[in-house]
Amino acid sequence: MSIPTMWRQLSATLLLLCTLIFPPVQAAGTSQLLQALPERPKAGDFQLTDLDGTEHRLSRYRGRVVIVNFWATWCPPCREEMPSMQRAWELLEPEGIVMLAINIGEDEDTIFQFTANFPVEFPLLLDQDSATIQSWPVRGLPTTYVVDPQGRLAYRAIGGRAWDDPALLDMVRALK
Amino acid sequence: MHVITLLIGTLFIPTASAAGSATTGSDPETGLAFWRYEAEGILFELNQRLPDQTRAFFQARGFDTDTANQFATSCVFQSRLLNTAVAGGASLQFNLNEWRVISGNKSSSMATTDDWMPRWKKQSIGQAARIAFKWSLLPSEQTYAPGDYNWGMTSYDQPPGTRFNLTLVWHREGKRESATIRNIECPADSPQETP
Repeated sequence: MSIPTMWRQLSATLLLLCTLIFPPVQAAGTSQLLQALPERPKAGDFQLTDLDGTEHRLSRYRGRVVIVNFWATWCPPCREEMPSMQRAWELLEPEGIVMLAINIGEDEDTIFQFTANFPVEFPLLLDQDSATIQSWPVRGLPTTYVVDPQGRLAYRAIGGRAWDDPALLDMVRALK
Repeated sequence: MHVITLLIGTLFIPTASAAGSATTGSDPETGLAFWRYEAEGILFELNQRLPDQTRAFFQARGFDTDTANQFATSCVFQSRLLNTAVAGGASLQFNLNEWRVISGNKSSSMATTDDWMPRWKKQSIGQAARIAFKWSLLPSEQTYAPGDYNWGMTSYDQPPGTRFNLTLVWHREGKRESATIRNIECPADSPQETP
């Protein structure tokens, strides 16, 4: 066997192995599920400012479904799910569903730089002292809760999701 | 073909495990090693992080050189833990304080956020840096529904280059399960430049 042929075979074998060893996150068991919270505990209220300086108080959205996402710019699965959150928001916002993404511990400049690569239109709120995340049942990033119109925690997702998945969107819409 | 067989052999070495399978290999681009344990309903993966990478990450978030170095040289891996059960499957609970690090004939605990955070407070690390640290590590304790997962750094409190076995423990449907990943290697450190 010639050396170039051997290297071509080796490259193809390595590529195949890499695909097996490092499958995409979605293929590694991350299904499109939201975990239902049967007891529906009350969501902790918060008042946080977004990048435009607008204040958002969770309790002011009573009567509407609210998706509350906790994230940071350095968190790989947070970055990965952002584009699908934007696509979901484009579908859900006209239906009156709210999406709030709460950044943990970072400043406005850092988040502005992030949005140059990940442009999103839903509000990005700042929890710089992490007081809000610490008052919610969150242990890792990203974590997302879906709050029902009565202000209760209805669903939870730990880790990223494809938020524009039709089955997932239907679960959110059914809370209205 | 002997070359190919040899390379595949070094990339994908199965190690013993009671309930699932442990594999190891290396990233062809960076050369950094990884270890993965997979069984029904669970996947845990460790990817070596060079101390330089970890130092740079935390220095950019407000740690000084000395404190960033304390963590960076404590045997840090980028980790991923998933509940891979299908919809309707069992939840998975874990507490990293139950996991064991076995090096030589010595068994010890991992160094979790519960261990590091008081240390940073005592060393007067700023609030923003402590917040970044807390959320960039794998949570000490977590319950995953099917499809849930986290990424995060884990620290094993061992010197660079040390080899160790790691016993993972998790709970599912009231049962305690465990598995051991063998011969994990802490990433080596490069010599620090002196000014």
